[in-house]
Amino acid sequence: MSSTPKNVQSSVDDLIKASYQHGFVTPIESDTLPVGLDENVIRSISARKNEPEWVLNWRLKAYQRWLTMEDPEWAHVKHPDIDFQAISYYSAPRKKPGLASLDEVDPALLDAYNKLGIPLQEQQALAGVAVDAVFDSVSVATTFREKLSEAGVIFCSLSEAIQQYPELVKKYMGSVVPYTDNFYACLNAAVFTDGTFVYVPEGVRCPMELSTYFRINEANTGQFERTLIIAEAGSYVSYLEGCTAPTRDENQLHAAVVELIAMDDAAIKYSTVQNWYPGDEQGRGGIYNFVTKRGICLGKRSHISWTQVETGSAITWKYPSCILSGDDSVGEFYSVAVTRGRQQADTGTKMLHLGRNTSSTIVSKGISAGEGQNTYRGLVRMSKRAEGARNHTQCDSLLLGDKCGAHTFPYIEVMNPNAEVEHEATTSKISDDQLFYCRQRGLSEEDAVSMIVNGFCKEVFKELPMEFAVEAQKLLSITLEGAVG
Amino acid sequence: MTTAQQRQQQQRDWFQQLLTRSDVSPDSNMAWLYRLRDDAKRAIKTLPTLGSKQEAWRYNRVNDIFDINFDSSSDFDNDIIEPDINDYLLPAFDSYRLVFINGHCATKLSDIKQLPEGVTLGSVKAGLRSMPEKMIHWFDRNHQHNEYMFTALNNALFNDGVYLHLDRSVHLDRPVEVIYLNNNHSQSAQYAGSMIQTRTIISLDVGASATLVERFINGSGTGNNETYFYNNVSEISLADDAELNHCRVQDESRQAYHLSSLYVTQKKHSAYHSSNLAFGGAWARTEYKVDFRAEAAICDLNGLYAVDNQQLIDFHLDVQHRAESCRSREHFKGILYGKGRAVFDGRILVDKQAQFSDAALINDNLLLVADAEIDTKPQLEIYADNVKCSHGTTVGKLDQQQMFYLRSRGIAENEARKILCQGYAAEIIDDIALPELQKHVAEKLMHALNKNDPGAGGHDGY
Repeated sequence: MSSTPKNVQSSVDDLIKASYQHGFVTPIESDTLPVGLDENVIRSISARKNEPEWVLNWRLKAYQRWLTMEDPEWAHVKHPDIDFQAISYYSAPRKKPGLASLDEVDPALLDAYNKLGIPLQEQQALAGVAVDAVFDSVSVATTFREKLSEAGVIFCSLSEAIQQYPELVKKYMGSVVPYTDNFYACLNAAVFTDGTFVYVPEGVRCPMELSTYFRINEANTGQFERTLIIAEAGSYVSYLEGCTAPTRDENQLHAAVVELIAMDDAAIKYSTVQNWYPGDEQGRGGIYNFVTKRGICLGKRSHISWTQVETGSAITWKYPSCILSGDDSVGEFYSVAVTRGRQQADTGTKMLHLGRNTSSTIVSKGISAGEGQNTYRGLVRMSKRAEGARNHTQCDSLLLGDKCGAHTFPYIEVMNPNAEVEHEATTSKISDDQLFYCRQRGLSEEDAVSMIVNGFCKEVFKELPMEFAVEAQKLLSITLEGAVG
Repeated sequence: MTTAQQRQQQQRDWFQQLLTRSDVSPDSNMAWLYRLRDDAKRAIKTLPTLGSKQEAWRYNRVNDIFDINFDSSSDFDNDIIEPDINDYLLPAFDSYRLVFINGHCATKLSDIKQLPEGVTLGSVKAGLRSMPEKMIHWFDRNHQHNEYMFTALNNALFNDGVYLHLDRSVHLDRPVEVIYLNNNHSQSAQYAGSMIQTRTIISLDVGASATLVERFINGSGTGNNETYFYNNVSEISLADDAELNHCRVQDESRQAYHLSSLYVTQKKHSAYHSSNLAFGGAWARTEYKVDFRAEAAICDLNGLYAVDNQQLIDFHLDVQHRAESCRSREHFKGILYGKGRAVFDGRILVDKQAQFSDAALINDNLLLVADAEIDTKPQLEIYADNVKCSHGTTVGKLDQQQMFYLRSRGIAENEARKILCQGYAAEIIDDIALPELQKHVAEKLMHALNKNDPGAGGHDGY
């Protein structure tokens, strides 16, 4: 059977047992709706947020549609049926009206961020990152607004945008991911609570990396954010999304929607580090992360790049996609997904080539340990019009331990003879030779495994913005704790 | 009823109509066969209907089939239709030959004399009459019965087919060649074509080896493209150290529907090599399920498909590593030279206990014209850690530099294109174990490329 050396196996076992670092609950009074979902709940969410009529109508249309849809079953994941009536669809930290500065933010909340190692103020000062922290569902602190508004960049919560920039929201919300798109996107359209809105005007290069840290705090609260990023012609924006969530025993549903729109010559870089609670060793608890992320390269020579490091969640189910509609537009997808314990990930991307000379690159690295199941699922479609389109896909899987699984399901559809598509996939484990080489040079078993795994992921990490690259490596080390010191 | 429900009902009716119309009589003397057919008929009532919502059928447009009425009766006389078999033979090809006309063995055209000792070869229909005990044994080797609607249909209605059994350590000196001549023999005008069903049963005992060639040919005699549905189920079981070389050339009528479902089970150290060449059919699908039942077995699946206007050619491969140290190689290449569609789906499954598995799959596709479509889906599903698995897929056109090289040496564009296609296909064709068949396939490909010269119809790209 397996020739895995005993000490590697034991380090892998340690890794499996490494407990979740960020498992704590912040006791904050919150304003939570009772569990259950019906039209009244939606009206109540809408009313609490003071939404205009058209948003409410959109929500209700989505809800009616959702009632007719069925929970999808095609993903390579197993979970008990979700009781959508057992979830509370709204939870907001009780806030004082008219929050003016960071000082007014609940200290307990700020402390929570500190525990996570992302002190808000420090980060603002040191990293030059504007943080729009979403604590559960409502934005409580938005920083660097002034500097951004000087440049003309709008960076605010979606609820604020609905109030202040209704034309923009009305025009673009749901244009990339319509509420009819899929079961969870539809649910999100009906009950979304908040999210982030970014608008970069023509020719503007956003002066800093935009970032939001999401946290799910309230027990039994599904979090349904919506992110909408619009980059006008010739603009550039880099957006960072990072997540951690405290330990819970019940599964928490997270069904977010992210929409990106890039006009002529615009570029959007969207990076994610996802580290939600993965559940315990027996697979109890943990976040269900069912996310719809999609960007459209509307303009010529536009560019959308997705980079993700997925280490958390009991179940991750997301496919950040690009619709390459403008001629010469570029789509990229770089992903590292780690599953351990009983985690399951079914993730990948869709590259829909519509315009001429569009190109896309997919690099996906899956690492499975313990009893984790890791699936890459991707679609590359070259439509008839996509003359000269190019795609290259590389999927590699690394297996640590003999109880995990790594799966690759790429779909390739080509309708144009001048389009070129390449797909490669490999599955392997850390070879004894590699380990021996490192050990021989005096590295400990753990350092060797860590080094090899980091090398395996390097292609993806180098796509991350600096701050995130550091955090991602740290996260990987924590995830491989026991094995990797 | 919703549209979806109507479609499902239409499909069930379609299968039911075939069951009712068929004159295959359940032989009550053979209880096991009676039971097999009866189970299959019941399965057709309960199995899930096929459609694009099902993962295995999403690119296949299978629903179109259920709009066509096929005649499942076998109401015709074999002896009347007696084509000149010489028209269909490969030159100087020495083989043990079985000929089937519309799924019924034509004894007069077959030649299986002087079989070596330890070899049993013949028609399933005759075998069921002369040695039912042995047949039950061979049928029992496989338990994949009634896997989906069409295999159930075959179980319920197959009337004839081929069986080949080799005793321990027997090496067959010459290849076995099975020629299937299919056409529309329906006597009734209300049917668009006939339904033809055969069963192939191959079992090789310990250390035995054989070569099997199967050719599926448009047998209308006049070369007319007639409509018919040919539905085959093949069960192949290889005992320890057995080896089978299997070549399948699908050259059906361009109006025909062809479905082959092959189930291969392999024991320790056995080897299965197959070359699958697909040229014909309006709709043609080949399904392979390879099941490694013991360690260190080897399986090579190779294939070439050439797709013309209004054709859909579909290959579904499923190789299941369930034992240690098995090796599988899959290499399929497609040339889409007309406005047709090719579908490829190759799954490699490595089970928990299948350590040291070595699996690789390659699917390359050459698109020569606009409006052709390729949908390819290689899959890896891996549950063991000490394995070496990979897959690769490419879709593209001919290399411009290679074209330029040939053009600059005075070779006309069409010729250059053909040379490059030949070179591309050679990797698969050269792998065919029999030189006579290699030549035949290479000619078939040339013929296809000559007939449809993409350059002739203006600038379509290449």
